[in-house]
Amino acid sequence: MNFLVPAFLAGFAALALPILFHLRHRERDRPHRFPSLMFLRRIPIRTSHRRRITDWMLLLLRAAVVALLVAAFARPFLGRSTAQVTTEPSRSVVLLFDRSLSMGHSAVWPAARDSARRVVTSLGVGDRIAVVLFDDDAEVTQPFTADHGLASAAIEAARPTSRGTRYAAALRTARRVVADANAGAAEVVVVTDLQRSGLEGLAGLELPAELNVRTISVAPAKRPDAAVVGADVQRIPDKDRSRLLVSARLVSRDHAAASRVTVALTVSGRVSGTREVNLPADGALSVAFDPVPLPAGRARASVAIQPDALPGNDTLHFVVPAEEALKVVLVAPGDASDETLFLERALSIGRAPAFRVMRRGAGALDAATLRDAAVVVLFDTPVPTGAALDGWIRGGGGMIVAAGRRLAARSGSSPVLPGSVRGAVERINDRGGAFGEVSLDHPVFTPFREGGAAALGAARFLRYPRINPDSGAEILARFDDGNPALVERTLGQGRVLLLAVPLDAVSGDFPLQPAFLPFLRRVTLHAVGYEPPPLWRTTGETGSRRPRGVNPVSGGRHARGRPGTAARGLRGPPGGAPRGRLLRYV
Amino acid sequence: MTASAPAGFLDPALLARIGDLALLARNVVDGFMHGLHRSRRVGLSLDFAEHRAYQPGDDIRRIDWRVYGRTDRYYVKEYEADTNAGVTFALDASGSMDFGTGPVTKFDYGRFLVASLAWLSQHQGDRVGLVTFSGDILEVVPPSTRHLRLILHTLGRAKAAGVGRLPTVLERAARLSTRAGIVVVVSDCYEDPASVQHGIGALRARGHDVILFHVLDPAERDLPGEGAVTFEDAETAERLPLRPEALREKYQAEVAAHRADLAQRLGRDGADYVGLTTDQPLDRALHTYLERRLAASRVR
Repeated sequence: MNFLVPAFLAGFAALALPILFHLRHRERDRPHRFPSLMFLRRIPIRTSHRRRITDWMLLLLRAAVVALLVAAFARPFLGRSTAQVTTEPSRSVVLLFDRSLSMGHSAVWPAARDSARRVVTSLGVGDRIAVVLFDDDAEVTQPFTADHGLASAAIEAARPTSRGTRYAAALRTARRVVADANAGAAEVVVVTDLQRSGLEGLAGLELPAELNVRTISVAPAKRPDAAVVGADVQRIPDKDRSRLLVSARLVSRDHAAASRVTVALTVSGRVSGTREVNLPADGALSVAFDPVPLPAGRARASVAIQPDALPGNDTLHFVVPAEEALKVVLVAPGDASDETLFLERALSIGRAPAFRVMRRGAGALDAATLRDAAVVVLFDTPVPTGAALDGWIRGGGGMIVAAGRRLAARSGSSPVLPGSVRGAVERINDRGGAFGEVSLDHPVFTPFREGGAAALGAARFLRYPRINPDSGAEILARFDDGNPALVERTLGQGRVLLLAVPLDAVSGDFPLQPAFLPFLRRVTLHAVGYEPPPLWRTTGETGSRRPRGVNPVSGGRHARGRPGTAARGLRGPPGGAPRGRLLRYV
Repeated sequence: MTASAPAGFLDPALLARIGDLALLARNVVDGFMHGLHRSRRVGLSLDFAEHRAYQPGDDIRRIDWRVYGRTDRYYVKEYEADTNAGVTFALDASGSMDFGTGPVTKFDYGRFLVASLAWLSQHQGDRVGLVTFSGDILEVVPPSTRHLRLILHTLGRAKAAGVGRLPTVLERAARLSTRAGIVVVVSDCYEDPASVQHGIGALRARGHDVILFHVLDPAERDLPGEGAVTFEDAETAERLPLRPEALREKYQAEVAAHRADLAQRLGRDGADYVGLTTDQPLDRALHTYLERRLAASRVR
């Protein structure tokens, strides 16, 4: 005789139970009611008599019941091999086990593991199973095997991660596992809490017809959780150093009642502030901390509450980048120092990011100068010829050409410019021109969208060069006479802006207007392709891969990326902050 | 209890036998007073209590001729301190009394006994009262010549349950009345004899005559049964596994010693102890009781 599940034979140890039960409980079945035990208790009683087994038939019957039960669970069979026993063809099952951040909830993970175990125990002899753990990526932890113990071990070893959910990645992996094993018809069992955000990418996924997908939902009706879902981080100048002002946003859901929690702000590993707040049962609130000194360089910080049922979202880690300045290479004629005064002063004002203006001659724009430059400003200077500048722009650099009376007189052109400069327009007779049509939806004019256009209209221009835009150029702004004021073109991954707006106080009064500073700052940032670096990454977030251009703030590449370089699977907050403590689960 | 309940307790055949005993008793005490029992306070009070119909054997000098003149019937005037004794029956209603291996439980037996004695006492003109108790006093019917039906009604609806504390209850019962009388205690006495003696002593200190009927079931006396049995205490539900045949002799000796100790201690304090088992006829118990009362009267 053989047994299909011999492990159950260990249950024969339970045969001791009927004997113990017989000895201990035999007399208690039908107690004899007696008025008082007062006299009986006075008599010393020898209990050895009670220990004697008197009803052997009853004991044997009880032991036989236990033995039969154990044997039944062990599934005995006679005279046949395992292969002969299985008359039905073996099954192939791919278990997709969700280990994303949301599965780490204490009300979800145990149920998920139990469901996965049941999938394994439901298999028959000869059935094969593969275990794939997935979040926003999938990992085959156990290829197809008929040893169900290995599958169980893979399930037991699984731990929830801090990443998002992508069912497409999991199903793609399951399809590959089945194809590699030539499993033919197979069943894919997905154990998950069915996060809606995980459905992204499923639309284009094709699965073989013989692949049967079954889902086991372990999502509870209520999932009490509190989370730090965001933070508003501001850098406040304070004399020669900065202070950090942090306001965190907390969300609570599905709790039975409001609770009091402690919110702690940690900067560079030191607790910089704590707040006691009443967290509503279902709602959100903001918690503001006192400004704290910001250490030099890049600073890691976090806002945390006490761990709850889902500890993965109880701490928000973020990185405050170092306060580095964008390097602006200014090329201007030697006699134009008065004309560039307002330009230089305007760029030197402001932070996040700050600009550092370096004045260079036209002949100095070599590769070494351009290597760490964020933008090149040619102030009324012809575009230098040479491969260095052209290659730098095409590689992601930005250039601003501020045309003035000199370029207008030269009436020159360049292949990198979005247009040619042909003469100048005199507006002295009609008391100066003004901005006309402006593309307010363009990033350059972001500060002027809501009621700010009037500030632009206050500027008067007495003289400005006339620009003939090229066919591929984009006119971002015009003067009120229709002449282009700001023209843009892209060159490779770089960007070139041709500016006809006078930046000196002689040809107009624009430098004296309030709109001058934000306008010039936005034009420069747009030329750089600057995007504020995100302070944190969110679990399941889909972002852009870092482009090839240089990002002077982070010390790496700047944020302008090539089209179609969307990447998934962001591993954590930028700047090397700890993984697994991300903002939001999906 | 319904109106027919008294008849249920007082079986006609039993009452007939009790009636013989009553006639015998009344003849014994006729020289002292109208009732069976000697008054403890003769002459202390001559307050009129009630009229009672004349019965053969009553002194014709006590007939109220004024009432006769108005009603043309003979009535005798009764006084509080005349002939009546206050008889209080204290019935144990603890859980241990709810046990019986024969036709009746100890509690039923006790109820029959109390009802019969109350009926007997009532017909002798005594004031009868009742106290039922378990861990504490449960019901109190003050002694009166008119409370027989109330006593029978109370007995009819009494249930045996709870853990009994006989000595404590007897001490409290002693404080219920300032007038001395007769206290008849019916209990299975599962207490230390010294404690019972202490409780009875409290009654005696108040001037009461005390009679203790110690009621047992034959099984309590003999401990029958064979093989392994788990005994469960009827009051505390405590369990004790044992083999009765191995303990029977020692158990019977314990019970006998307990009864003897009780009888000795109570007799020493001037109280009467009557051991009864539920397989004994009730009239025998009454007969024994009356004989002992008679003997006591002669002593006095």
